[in-house]
Amino acid sequence: MKGTHHNDSPSPAEPNYRTGSSVAREVELIARIAEGDRKAFEELYGLYHRRLARFLTRLTKRYDVAEEVINDTFYIVWRKAGAFRGDSQPSTWILGIAYRKARNAFRSSSRILALENPDAPLPPLTSDESLRTEELRDWLVHALVQLPVEQRLAVELCYELGYSCEEISTIMGCPVNTVKTRLFHARAKLQKLLPALGGATPADERDRKGSREKGKS
Amino acid sequence: MIATGDFACHEEAWLALPWLANGRLSQTERDKIEPHVRQCSACKEELAFQRLICDSLTAPDRVTYAPGPSFRKLMDRIDGTAPRPQKTGERSKVPASPGRAPNRGKVSPWRPPGLAWAAASFALVIGFVGVLSTVYRSSELLYTTHTDTARATPNILHIAFDRSLTIGEAEEALRSTGARIVEGPDSTGVIGIRPVASGAGDATSAGDRREMRVLSARLRADPRVRWVEPILGGDSPGERRAPLSRGQ
Ligand SMILES: [Zn+2]
Repeated sequence: MKGTHHNDSPSPAEPNYRTGSSVAREVELIARIAEGDRKAFEELYGLYHRRLARFLTRLTKRYDVAEEVINDTFYIVWRKAGAFRGDSQPSTWILGIAYRKARNAFRSSSRILALENPDAPLPPLTSDESLRTEELRDWLVHALVQLPVEQRLAVELCYELGYSCEEISTIMGCPVNTVKTRLFHARAKLQKLLPALGGATPADERDRKGSREKGKS
Repeated sequence: MIATGDFACHEEAWLALPWLANGRLSQTERDKIEPHVRQCSACKEELAFQRLICDSLTAPDRVTYAPGPSFRKLMDRIDGTAPRPQKTGERSKVPASPGRAPNRGKVSPWRPPGLAWAAASFALVIGFVGVLSTVYRSSELLYTTHTDTARATPNILHIAFDRSLTIGEAEEALRSTGARIVEGPDSTGVIGIRPVASGAGDATSAGDRREMRVLSARLRADPRVRWVEPILGGDSPGERRAPLSRGQ
């Protein structure tokens, strides 16, 4: 294992924006927001805006939709900050609100998203190593549009925002097994869609091995 | 053949792989599945794929969005000075998708618009000193116009470029699409533009409005453009400035 988010430390790694001190800071900000502190509100908004904007524009390809979800979310944060008791992490609480707002927004904007033509061919991938991460990301953004909303959101919460299975179940308000099932189906679909990539196994072969055969090295 | 116990192990590991990849599996869970993953080629291969997805989705973005304008919209709403937003499905398709940037691989970190940017653009818009004196004194004012057309210079396009763009590149992009700068940039890099071909006034004629739409479409197709938004004139139906049809 390598890298920062694939670490071998005994406890599960926290994404870098959710270290202990940042959690304490967010709890403090929420307490100040409950008293109507606008500076604290702006700071908390700033902490979440970038990651939510990225996560949501990736799913909708539209900043106006993302902005509406973010502002609907923080409108609730402003009004309900006093009800936050700290029995969940600030991030899980805020993402839970954002998840519900996003789900509703995606449903009401399905007419517009449909214009994106989910059947359009996905962009081809090259095997150039230097382009691979970025190109794969572009490809994933296209592929994600083809997944049902709940699966799309689960993918982003897990891979991009780095939440644990339990945290995602809190955010999505569903059992842990449902989270695993959503990810399972999303992964199977992504694998089917993934064209042969330099060094990667063709999707049908991997799918067959993954779901049916047991491979021993 | 797969022994039943092995298969159960494989299934359990397979379901947990996304969190092995994102590093959020507890030690207990890892102790349980890692011995299997180490000796199962399908799981190992899937784990590599899962990590590739993590790496791709966590790589820095080419495009970032400044929170300031959106936050001000929210505060307007909280203070009751802005109308509740329309339903998402009914809104104009305003901000452009990030698209595929030509400078792929060169991911630029957030770069606040520097003085050089402002100075160079100032030179470009020297003919519009009247407008600028307002805009430069208060970027706040210009940006609130993002939501409040009544306070904006009407019938212009507001545009923001990817922050990795140099001044020269942005100027060239505007020149080549037939745009001229009439405002800004403000402290967040937002520039007000009109088509070169339009009259000196408020783009009132049908021809001017068509030019605006063409320009807007051209700029939205440019992957270096973060977003383009038409700022419309006239809050009342009887106003002389016919609204530009939005979103196309
Ligand atoms: Zn296995």
